[in-house]
Amino acid sequence: MDELELLKKDWKMREQKQPQLSYDDIYTMLFKKSTSIVKWIFIISIAELIFWTGLSFFTPKSSYEILERFGVSQILWMTNIINYLVFIGFIYLFYKNYTAIKVTDSTKQLINSIIKTRKTVRYFVFYNVAVFALILIFINILYYLKSDVLMEIIGEKYGKIKDAAAFLNNFFIIQIVLGVFMLGLLLLFYRLVYGILLRRLKNNLKELEKIEM
Amino acid sequence: MSKELEHSFITQLQANQNIVHKICRLYTNGADAHNDLFQEITIQLWKAFPKFRGESKFSTWMYRVGLNTAITLYRKSKRTIDTQDFETVSFKISAEDYDNTVEEQLKLMYDAVKQLNDIDKALVFLYLEDKNYKEIAETLGISEVNSRVKMNRIKEKLRTILNP
Repeated sequence: MDELELLKKDWKMREQKQPQLSYDDIYTMLFKKSTSIVKWIFIISIAELIFWTGLSFFTPKSSYEILERFGVSQILWMTNIINYLVFIGFIYLFYKNYTAIKVTDSTKQLINSIIKTRKTVRYFVFYNVAVFALILIFINILYYLKSDVLMEIIGEKYGKIKDAAAFLNNFFIIQIVLGVFMLGLLLLFYRLVYGILLRRLKNNLKELEKIEM
Repeated sequence: MSKELEHSFITQLQANQNIVHKICRLYTNGADAHNDLFQEITIQLWKAFPKFRGESKFSTWMYRVGLNTAITLYRKSKRTIDTQDFETVSFKISAEDYDNTVEEQLKLMYDAVKQLNDIDKALVFLYLEDKNYKEIAETLGISEVNSRVKMNRIKEKLRTILNP
């Protein structure tokens, strides 16, 4: 292509006319903060890991006491231990993937390792959302099966309720609506964060994969 | 030791800074974005420098880190307003009115290259820098044959942009 050869010649000629930075200019740049996407992914991922780990630490004591009344505290204790083991596993995987990101890799490899890191965190979030949903379902089934215990606890706290059946009806509807709403909100939030950060990367990866087909 | 490392890095980067400027020119519009990307590439180069063992030339290593930063790590800031389409359109009109001088042809070519996607731009950039297909393939992580095929397709693409 003649035009491209023409461009090549001009490209080389223009090189001489480029602005030149001094030693000091470059020196000051070394201490500036990076705004790279990997840095943002790292910050957001750590925030997510802390958020979900923290959340399970800060379950109020009273809710454990209530669950004890239902006779399921042992099951919950077990799930907690399993949960923490899974957390540790995820954090290890995240760390391993993160350290595998190398700017000196080929472009394709670099994009792949960034996406892999992000995927680990994404699975972590989905895991938490799933556990959250399962516990919600489990507890509500429990409430339903042992509604007499539930009414007893509520009665102790807020005084006796006259129409127990109507109260229970509303109680479960509110539980379900709130649960679904929170789940939706969480998933939407992650879709946004995930989408915004990775859109360009994914497009470029797609381009590279198209070349290989 | 770290002072020595700093000095060695800055002198080498300063001597080869044209490579970074050229990447910035291709991937950004406007001086602000150019400087932003230059800075980000410098930071990434500096972070990777302790592991640079001199197995390849400093400049070769710079191509890889620079392009990777432009394609994958750099977050385009909001203030970079893309005025390219407007320029291209207005230029096409004026190009029809006058003879296709070399100058105009070049301007059209640059605009056409700027319209390509990030990956295609990288291929064109390495081509303009006289890199062979083996190097192009290794930098991007694709096979040599495919980089050759892809380059031919890009040439066609540029041709259609220039002669719609």
